[in-house]
Amino acid sequence: MKYLALALLFSTSLMAASPEVVQYMNELSKTAKAENSSFNGFDVARGKEIFTSTHIGKQGKPMACTSCHSTNLSSSGKNTLTGKMIDPLSPRANPQRLTSAKEVKKWLKRNFMDVYTREGTAQEKGDVLTYIMKN
Amino acid sequence: MKTLLNLSVATLILAGGVYLYADDHEEGEHHRSSTVAKPLNKQDQAAAALYKKECSSCHMAYQPSLLPKRSWDKTMKTLENHFGTDATLDPSDHKTIQNYLTSYASKNDRLVDMKGAVALRISETPYFVREHREVTKKMVTQPQVKSFANCNACHSKAENGSYREREISIPNYGRWED
Repeated sequence: MKYLALALLFSTSLMAASPEVVQYMNELSKTAKAENSSFNGFDVARGKEIFTSTHIGKQGKPMACTSCHSTNLSSSGKNTLTGKMIDPLSPRANPQRLTSAKEVKKWLKRNFMDVYTREGTAQEKGDVLTYIMKN
Repeated sequence: MKTLLNLSVATLILAGGVYLYADDHEEGEHHRSSTVAKPLNKQDQAAAALYKKECSSCHMAYQPSLLPKRSWDKTMKTLENHFGTDATLDPSDHKTIQNYLTSYASKNDRLVDMKGAVALRISETPYFVREHREVTKKMVTQPQVKSFANCNACHSKAENGSYREREISIPNYGRWED
C-alpha cells in the first residue's frame, strides 16, 4: 500500500499534469492538427511567447499573463485589479495546478479573453499549457 | 493517516455546517452589523462552498445579503465582462451560484435613491455610502486596501460576514471610532 502510494506520487510528479489534463491536451492536439496540417506538437518556446508577450487586453490597456502571474511561475502572483494573491502556476511549486481539466479550461478561456480579447486556438492553449508544465 | 483524513473531513463538515451571514440592515438603522448563525441545508451548503471557491479566487466572496436580488441577477448576466475581466462559469455552476446568490440576497431593496439604477458594486449602494461617508479617499486607495472592494482589508471578520465596528482596523490608521 505504502509502495503503491509512493509510486503514484512519483509518476504524477513526473507527468506534471493529471491524467484528465493530459487527456485534455491530447484533445487539443487533435484539434490543432485538424486546424493546421503542419502542426507538429506543442512547443515550449511558443508557449513562453504567448505567456510573456504584452497585448491590448479586455480593458483596452497593455496586459500580459505575467501582469498577474509574474514572470516566475514558481512564485505567487497578484491579481492586478483586486490585489488578491494568486498561488504559483507551476505544478512543481503548486501540486494543485493542472489537476482538473474543468479548471484548466475555465481559466484558459477567461485569461485568453482578458489578455488577447479572443479565446485562443487549440494550438495556443496547448503551447501555453506545455510552457506551464515545464516551468 | 486515516485518522488525519477523518479529522480533516470532520473539520470541513463543521466549517460548512454553520454559515455566518451579515445581518440585513434596516434602512436608517446603525450599529447592527452583528452576525447571525444560520444553518444551511446540504444543498445550500454545497452552493455556498461553490460560490466561495469560484468567486474568491479573485476577490472576497461577498455575502449574498449585501445586495438585492436584481443586483445579483445583473452581475450573473454580465460575467463575460465582470468589472473588466472575463469571469464566465460552466453553465451548471453558473446556475447553482445564481440560485444561491438570489435566494440569500438582501430582502431590503438597498437601492432606494438610486433613481432606478441597479447597483453592481456593493460600494454604490446608498447604505454602504452612508456607512463609509467619513472614510477618506487616502485610507481606501493606499496599497494595503486598494479599493472598497477589499472589505477584509479593514473589517477583520468580513469573510465571516461580520462587520462590527470594534472589528475595524484601517491599515496605517488603526481602529475606527465613530
